[in-house]
Amino acid sequence: MATPANHLIEVQGLVKKFGPEITALDHVNLTIDKGQVVVIVGPSGSGKSTLLRSLNLLEIPTEGSVIFEGVDITDKKINLDQHRQKMGMVFQHFNLFPHKTVLENMTLAPIKVKKMPQAEAESMAMDLLRKVGLEDRAQAYPAQLSGGQKQRIAIVRALCMQPDVMLFDEPTSALDPEMVGEVLEVMKDLAAQGMTMVVVTHEMGFAREVGTRVLFMDQGHLLVDQPPEEFFGHPENPRLQEFLSKVL
Amino acid sequence: MNISFSFLPEYWPYFRDGVYYTLVLAFLTVVIAVIPAICLALMRLSKSKILRFISGAFIEIIRGTPMLVQVSIIYYGVFGAVKLPNYMLFGFMNFAMFLPCIIALAINSSAYVAEVIRAGILAVDRGQTEAARSLGMTQGQCMRMIVLPQAVKNILPALGNEFVTLVKESSICSTIGVSELMFGANLTRGATYQTMGPLLLAAALYLCMTFPASKLLGYVERRMRRGDAR
Repeated sequence: MATPANHLIEVQGLVKKFGPEITALDHVNLTIDKGQVVVIVGPSGSGKSTLLRSLNLLEIPTEGSVIFEGVDITDKKINLDQHRQKMGMVFQHFNLFPHKTVLENMTLAPIKVKKMPQAEAESMAMDLLRKVGLEDRAQAYPAQLSGGQKQRIAIVRALCMQPDVMLFDEPTSALDPEMVGEVLEVMKDLAAQGMTMVVVTHEMGFAREVGTRVLFMDQGHLLVDQPPEEFFGHPENPRLQEFLSKVL
Repeated sequence: MNISFSFLPEYWPYFRDGVYYTLVLAFLTVVIAVIPAICLALMRLSKSKILRFISGAFIEIIRGTPMLVQVSIIYYGVFGAVKLPNYMLFGFMNFAMFLPCIIALAINSSAYVAEVIRAGILAVDRGQTEAARSLGMTQGQCMRMIVLPQAVKNILPALGNEFVTLVKESSICSTIGVSELMFGANLTRGATYQTMGPLLLAAALYLCMTFPASKLLGYVERRMRRGDAR
């Protein structure tokens, strides 16, 4: 058995309750290693977003712990902000800062949080913008961008902090169909470069093609954790069979 | 009923200065009230139960008691023992009355403005905070750089409303002898035994201040909405 330090993220006995009635996560255990692309699928309300948001403690777990790079980040005594810097996050609704330009969106955290010199932060941001083909939009405001452009900016904004893992919370769910491809393309490139990724999505094609592992969640339980070939090829869990028959 | 405006030639200066005084009171009060109001709003939104309680209790007390009582307590009670110089600001505003009045109005207003600011902060999409925190920003950085700049858009129009309210409410200060517009009307009434004329003139002048202000506000609000699409 590997020691916790070998895993990038280790989730132990995670429970999340919303009030006394609703249990969104029920004792979830999960380990994620460096370089893996872990795709989480499941019906809505299954707890997949809650699990993802628990990884960087946007949701504070009711019970259990999240160990990131050997540090228990659910421990109240640690400086959570320092650890969050190394976990990039991309949201369904982009959450770009509307009062800042694209370039400012990207350089704000590196400059203010990491104390990176402004020139360095800007040249890094421009490099990333070039990679996603949006260098001409550096001075634009988010309101002037299409949904697909916003999400690509949100991805490179997170990358500007040079994170060790990227968390994606349904990154294509709020997009018009013709814009889904451009965002998935950026994510595929990122996976090919060896970035560790945890992705909550409904894009089964992406899960099958890019995923190292595919996880199936239902009613707060992690039911299946398999490589995509087995997950889609020979699903054994009856709940998963039912789910796949509806979405494929 | 006898409506006469024959007092005008002699008493018009009291009304003119009264309008200035009222405007100065209302404007300065809003400006001064903003700072304590931000503190109160942040306290109300803080995680600390004690801070939330202090702020909540203060706001409830201020909003639950008449302004007339508050102004009297500050003027007769708190400043009753303090000798302020009878210095005349701009030639017609007695500092010894002006200061207690501004303080009383600002304390009162800060409780209302605090609620406006709190609502303005809460109206900023939660995703903004989540994005900022996920980038490693502290709670303070997130508030200063992300939430407050966006909250200002929600708060500014409501602050204008507070100004309009204060133009009217500051008439209470006439009861302690501050020579604002209502005081001018009462003084004229007492000196000339004409009742309706001075009061109607005061009402008209109040309306002349509040109506353009609300129209201007509506315009500013619409302009801000336009740049709001995310």
